[in-house]
Amino acid sequence: MPDPDSSRAKAASTWPLLWETLRAQRRNLLIGTLIGLAWSVGKIASPLLIRYGIDRGIDEGEWLWLWVALIAIAGMVAGFFTALRRFFAFREARWTEARLRERLFSHIMSLHIGYHDRAQTGQLMSRSSSDLNQIQMFVVMIPITLSNLAMVTAVTVILLVTDWVLALLALASLPLIQVAGRRFSRSIHPAVLAVQAEQAELATVVEESVGGVRVIKGFGAEAVQAEKLRTEADDIRRESIEAARIRAKFLPAMELLPQVGLIAVLWFGGNQVIDGDMTLGTLVLFNVFVALLVFPLRMIGMTLAFAQRAAVALGRVNEVLDISSQVQDPERPESLPTVEGSDPNRGLGAVSFREVSFAYPADVRPAEPDNDAGPVLDGFDLVLRPGESVAIVGATGSGKSTVARLLVRFYDADSGSISIDGVDVRSLTLHDLRRAVGIVFEDTLLFHDTVRANIAFADPDADQERVERAARLAGAHDFVMGLPDAYDTMLGERGFSLSGGQRQRIAIARAILADPRILVLDDATSAVDPSKEHEIRSAMSTVMDGRTTIVIAHRPGTIALADTVVLLDGGRVVARGPHADLLVDEPRYRDVLAAMDADADAEADEAGGRTDLGSPVGGD
Amino acid sequence: MFRMGGVTDEDKLDSETTKRVLRRAVRMAKPFRRTIAAALGFVLVSTLGLLMGPIIVKFAIDNGIDDGDRDVLRNAVIVYVVVVAIAYAASRQQYIFVNRAGEGFLRALRVRTFDHIQKQSLGFFDRYQSGVLISRMTADVESMAELVQWGLLQFVAALFLIVIALILMLTLSWQLTIAALLVMPIIIIASRKFQRDSNQAYLEVRERVGQNLSELQEGIAGVRVVQAYAQEGEQTRQFVSSNRSLYRSHVHSIRVSTWYFGLVEALGVIASGLAIGIGGWLVNRGDVTIGTVIAFVLLLAQLFEPVQQLSQLYNTVQSSAAALDKLFGILDTEPDIEGGDQALPDRGALVVDDVGFTYPATTTPVLRDVSITVADGERLALVGPTGAGKSTVAKLMARLYDPTVGTISFGGVDLRDATLDSLRHRVVVVPQEGFLFGGSIADNVRIARSEATDDDLRRALDAIGALERFETFEDGIHTEVRERGSRLSAGERQLVSLARAALVDPAVLVLDEATSSLDPGTEVIVERALDRLMVGRTTVVVAHRLSTIQNADRIAVIDAGQLAELGTHDELVDLGGRYAALADAWAQSLPT
Repeated sequence: MPDPDSSRAKAASTWPLLWETLRAQRRNLLIGTLIGLAWSVGKIASPLLIRYGIDRGIDEGEWLWLWVALIAIAGMVAGFFTALRRFFAFREARWTEARLRERLFSHIMSLHIGYHDRAQTGQLMSRSSSDLNQIQMFVVMIPITLSNLAMVTAVTVILLVTDWVLALLALASLPLIQVAGRRFSRSIHPAVLAVQAEQAELATVVEESVGGVRVIKGFGAEAVQAEKLRTEADDIRRESIEAARIRAKFLPAMELLPQVGLIAVLWFGGNQVIDGDMTLGTLVLFNVFVALLVFPLRMIGMTLAFAQRAAVALGRVNEVLDISSQVQDPERPESLPTVEGSDPNRGLGAVSFREVSFAYPADVRPAEPDNDAGPVLDGFDLVLRPGESVAIVGATGSGKSTVARLLVRFYDADSGSISIDGVDVRSLTLHDLRRAVGIVFEDTLLFHDTVRANIAFADPDADQERVERAARLAGAHDFVMGLPDAYDTMLGERGFSLSGGQRQRIAIARAILADPRILVLDDATSAVDPSKEHEIRSAMSTVMDGRTTIVIAHRPGTIALADTVVLLDGGRVVARGPHADLLVDEPRYRDVLAAMDADADAEADEAGGRTDLGSPVGGD
Repeated sequence: MFRMGGVTDEDKLDSETTKRVLRRAVRMAKPFRRTIAAALGFVLVSTLGLLMGPIIVKFAIDNGIDDGDRDVLRNAVIVYVVVVAIAYAASRQQYIFVNRAGEGFLRALRVRTFDHIQKQSLGFFDRYQSGVLISRMTADVESMAELVQWGLLQFVAALFLIVIALILMLTLSWQLTIAALLVMPIIIIASRKFQRDSNQAYLEVRERVGQNLSELQEGIAGVRVVQAYAQEGEQTRQFVSSNRSLYRSHVHSIRVSTWYFGLVEALGVIASGLAIGIGGWLVNRGDVTIGTVIAFVLLLAQLFEPVQQLSQLYNTVQSSAAALDKLFGILDTEPDIEGGDQALPDRGALVVDDVGFTYPATTTPVLRDVSITVADGERLALVGPTGAGKSTVAKLMARLYDPTVGTISFGGVDLRDATLDSLRHRVVVVPQEGFLFGGSIADNVRIARSEATDDDLRRALDAIGALERFETFEDGIHTEVRERGSRLSAGERQLVSLARAALVDPAVLVLDEATSSLDPGTEVIVERALDRLMVGRTTVVVAHRLSTIQNADRIAVIDAGQLAELGTHDELVDLGGRYAALADAWAQSLPT
């Protein structure tokens, strides 16, 4: 599903995104603000009533219990609207967050793979979690701050009308709270970041100590690491105490500033009461009102700081949303030829690469040690007849996997053309193209879902029969039936953990169910129990039968599955023929095979007693 | 660092466990008791200061304003100013001292946990996923930081405030106190219910956040599969449904807190109303002064906020206790490899006697009945098919694990009886890949012997012929290697790794031969370094290359966890067994 936003013009600034999001919720935000106004009426009413209670009820002995009843009612009103205001504000903020997150996710899913090869998962994760949380925190403040402002204004007016001199004295110190609040947020933020930076440094020491535990144990270097950790732990403590110093500088001041107003009220107001110019109730009213204003004023200061942080977060979110996918559907898509009959793929699946050249963008360098910046493919030619199978063999970094990436348009070739059944891949919709090509990836990523859902990934509506058929063909049915909940067993990182070979068979079943006319098998390099290797090989050969197949071979055993072998070197095909012929004629071919042997051996041995999850970023 | 997987059972502590964990934490905080005592003192003073306000106002009203005595009023104002100043000073100190104690505690916890983890054997590291260990040391400790920085202070301050306010109220008038506190039972019941519900809602939100995050991570990590199968729409649909359930749990938790906050707010005002009503009646009877009633109204305004704070803090306390409990789980794991008290001799034969080995938490033995004697100065190659147990034999020889059955000894001393220090000096393992730590090249070599001088390091590097290469770097051997040594090539990392071994100058070298090909230039240098390193030492090589095998004095073929063949190259070829077949295959497939 291409994201509708992907072609959107770059936003001039970050605010339009927020505005757009909020506009959809304007009704509830408005209701929230109105509720906030009702809340401020309730809040203001109770101190006023308390004044009458003291002056009329107690001092003059009139209608005491009426005032008490009114105070109680005002309390209930204030309580009711406090709750309602809170509910609306927080709910709307969470809704903003949820919708932005969905938009981000759908956008991320649609972005070209070139972007994903460059981007770090952690970065994208923090865009969609902590950044959205910052935005959420700001949205909460919108209705709350608006009603707080209303209340602050109303109280100020009431106090000014009651006694403007006393009002000025009482309120003089309060703007300072707001100023202090803003300055506090501004200076605590870098301090908190500094603490986090130190925490990250400590995490690095822990990570390398856990990762390099064999070296540390081997040399008895525990003390060296312990010393490093102490340094980092000390740094965290130092920065944290520094942050505490900032809190110590501002928070007590913010708490005690209103007391200055209260002292002024007591002194000046007290004298006025003695002079008979003011009632005791009014004195109390000033007291209560000053206390009432403290929190809203502090919040206004915080809101400004929150807004700044939210703006930064929005900017980062927008950065992602503004990227449009570089691989797009054509404007006038063509469709692939089809045939009638029981086997819709019969006689189809011709593939041709003509004069294809490709270099990864400078900042995408799929991790390979000796990979210089030149083109990966350079005048690459390869033609496959329908039903033919070819193994692509080459040294690490020779561009084997790139062939598959270009075929499904994870990247577009820089020059040359790639076509399926005579149709250029760029003239097909991405959906049609990718349904026509099935890839079994090098790292067999399984999703946290049931076995059934993992196999029926390409077609979630597939019935049990189809799922089972695919599993049988892939040689997975038998072990699946042995799992605790058979096809309903949960897999993935948090689910039942399968062996490397089992995972691979599930991945093959996934490709079978998609029933593509072209199959790409990117052979796993990670360890497979040697005794299970032949089972996987037989599963692969079942799927390949009669289907156009490209095998990206990382181990000698898999090469044998293909009809012909293509040797890739320097970005082009340097030899093509049956395995046995190449072995005799091509010294380079023998080199590559020897290297594979050693690699496979090392991988399997290193795997020791652990299960390796493999990295999501592909190999060469 | 993201926390994955949401809430597990270990996050849901019952109150019994919470109490036990907290008691243990209190014991651990003993070294900081002076700082804590000082912090408590400051909290007490600043809380008292905050509550003195209403009392001073009462005094001023009753003795100054009501009597028209301006001197009393002035004195009251002066006292008020002094009290506020003292409270301010104490309040500043309370932040500093509470943090000093808290951060000191966290530092001690970090250091202690890390030291404890480092004492563990490799078996421990196999058992715990590295991600789990890292999150214990980072996310779990940090989740306590919130409690330390904010929570503890708020908790103590709120508690003091409530207690002191109640005492002040009782001294002013017990009748009014009862009147004002008529609403208390409702608040207590509501608070308990809120605490329970909000804790549940909080755990639910955390669980959903965890699920949402892993779903997000899975989507991003799996984007290649998703796009390859054109399932972007379906994935987004599934994500939206998980995201909506997160939203719903957020809304639920908002609802839980919403009514509670409203209720406490309403009851606070109603309590003031009651104080005025009953206060008015008492004033008329002459039992209390009007100043007392006003002091009550002002005190009540301050009483209800801490009550709310206390109920909210419960979640923080509980999740910190859960994190602590997990840390204690690690601290309670006894290290299973500990040094003995015998020093190993300088030289001797390395004897593997009837050894069997099963990886922890598995049942199938990886090795059975392996016996090999490696003579002093001998060069032994371990060969065999993938996964046969070659590397395991090598690890046992360096006591990275202890054999499940049988013994391994050096110079007649069982490795289990040897001091760890002498063991690490006699037997050194050079892993396949050069693993680098943060810091300079020199720091990385010094890992092997922390007291080594720069000259020692240079000598070690020179011994393997690598000094010249590193001296040409910008800062020579003090050049920073950057994250995971990304500054250096694979071959250079390997050289650093070999230099560590040279620095130790061990009697026995255990090598896991590198298999991934290096660039031709460094390949030769690394090979030469290895040759120089092996001179005059007993060497055990997990071999992948024919040339290495051919240079060995003897070859041990390990197959399916057993020693299948042992002998010289010629002997084994003559034997016509597995090694012969292997050598034959090699000769055929390898370019000559």
